[in-house]
Amino acid sequence: MLDAIKSYLGSNVTPGEAGSVLWATIYVLLITIGVSLAVIAMNWLERKILAHMQIRLGPMRVGPHGLLQPFADALKLLIKEDVIPEGADKIVFWIAPVFVMMTAFTVFIVVPFGRTSAVTDMNIGILFMLGVSSLGVLGVIMGGWASNSHYPLMGALRSGAQMVSYEIAMGLAIISAVLMTSLASGTGTLSMIGIVQAQADQHRWFIFEMFPLGLMAFVVFAIAMVAETNRAPFDLPEAESELVAGFMTEYSGFRWSLFFLAEYAAMLAVSSIAVTLWLGGWLRPFPNWLSGPAWDLAFSFVPGLTFLGLAAMCFLGTVRMPKIPQFKIQTVGLGAFGALLALVGLLLLVPGVRERSQDVFWFVAKVACFMYLYIWYRGTFPRYRFDQLMRVGWKVLLPVSLGILIVTAIVGVRQELWAALTGVAR
Amino acid sequence: MSLQPLLRKVFLVDLIKGMGVTFRNQSEEQRVTEQYPLERPEIFERFRGQPRLKVNPDSGESLCIVCNLCALACPEQLIVVKGERNPVTKRKYPVSWTYDLSRCMFCGLCAEACSTDALELTQDYEMALYSREGMVLDQAALERGQEPVRYAK
Repeated sequence: MLDAIKSYLGSNVTPGEAGSVLWATIYVLLITIGVSLAVIAMNWLERKILAHMQIRLGPMRVGPHGLLQPFADALKLLIKEDVIPEGADKIVFWIAPVFVMMTAFTVFIVVPFGRTSAVTDMNIGILFMLGVSSLGVLGVIMGGWASNSHYPLMGALRSGAQMVSYEIAMGLAIISAVLMTSLASGTGTLSMIGIVQAQADQHRWFIFEMFPLGLMAFVVFAIAMVAETNRAPFDLPEAESELVAGFMTEYSGFRWSLFFLAEYAAMLAVSSIAVTLWLGGWLRPFPNWLSGPAWDLAFSFVPGLTFLGLAAMCFLGTVRMPKIPQFKIQTVGLGAFGALLALVGLLLLVPGVRERSQDVFWFVAKVACFMYLYIWYRGTFPRYRFDQLMRVGWKVLLPVSLGILIVTAIVGVRQELWAALTGVAR
Repeated sequence: MSLQPLLRKVFLVDLIKGMGVTFRNQSEEQRVTEQYPLERPEIFERFRGQPRLKVNPDSGESLCIVCNLCALACPEQLIVVKGERNPVTKRKYPVSWTYDLSRCMFCGLCAEACSTDALELTQDYEMALYSREGMVLDQAALERGQEPVRYAK
């Protein structure tokens, strides 16, 4: 048993490549749990960071610094009455949240958390991600239509229009990054792992490739992905002040929480696309500037030290807790949470675990930056009007991304093009 | 469009500035809310809240001499004081006091008019009640001071 685990872990391939159903199942379970945990953490972080940006405290009562608030909310949602509106199309109403959540979670099959930490290395990985995640629109429209109510219908219409129009700019930006994979080797790839390895081979993340071009494509994608996931400032489908909650208006309890889960899973998915395509996936930062085995070793300590730093922040928080008897349980809880983080940090410093978990850490850290950006946008920008949204999508992002694609293609084959032109002239 | 506004728009200068503002707001010093029942706000010195009748700490008798100046000063006429004279000390003492908090606008004229500084408007602010009847304070309630209603199962 132990030998089987060891021989697999030593083989350095994904379960899909190894053809191991057992390991694939384990990975799928791990990723499902991980994504769910990330959504829970994201729920808490969003409330806290948003509150701090609005000069508030955020949740403070349930657990130390409101750490248990997401669990309390989940419990509340689970025991809530499940209302199905009269005249609703029941079957479609039931299927819609499941559909949205399934599409949001399926894309994680090809997300490369590390060279070996992906369920499979699909050779059309990025295409698969785009295809499956865009099916989510269908679920949204199903939910809006089946509710038999004005607001959900309006929200679903907006959502459909928005997601479809931003998908084009997003797709074009992605193609320009995919073109870049062929620069060094001559053959491009659509595989998520292949894209990251192309960046490793070229010793350059694609955000810095052909200098402003990669960056511009990345910016276009970064804007389009916010619109794609219906987040502020592009959250028109669920604009509270206009549409109550958009397509989710008639949903309550567990079904609503499925929509919620799907929304955050989709955010994670598009962020991991951005990280994979432009920010070097699981590669550590500064591979050229700080290269060599010594730096490799130093960077392998970063994950553990990060967790230890978080633990230190928790312990600092226990010291800074108000010295009132009512806060005693919370102080102890925060200390326990800090101890847990410290334990994880120490575990990540163990040599075997260190090498294995490094790439996952860097990938997750990069995705976490995007998650922070999502919250930051929400705390800063007011919502777009619908015509402004469409104008940005069709009249700015689409031409820009098309231009980037053409220029990238031309610059990529500049030597062949030059040779052909001079050959013709001769 | 002239060049500068165009560049501002293309490089999203204003949006980034706005993000800077929200980022700076995250610091602990900026925070304006507190965890109310456990952490209490600092009340300003001149804040006028719950009325209170002072008692001589040594003898335990009320400082009020039933001069009726507060009742006369009150624009809402919500203070009614009745008193009797102590035959020995020749000093008047209150027999019944009513202070109708539900009509009070906390102008503080009664406290200003008080000749012995017996009546004052304190900095206590937790005056919410479940019924209107509790808002009419008698002498004992005025001397006890604030008693916030607590939630109980």
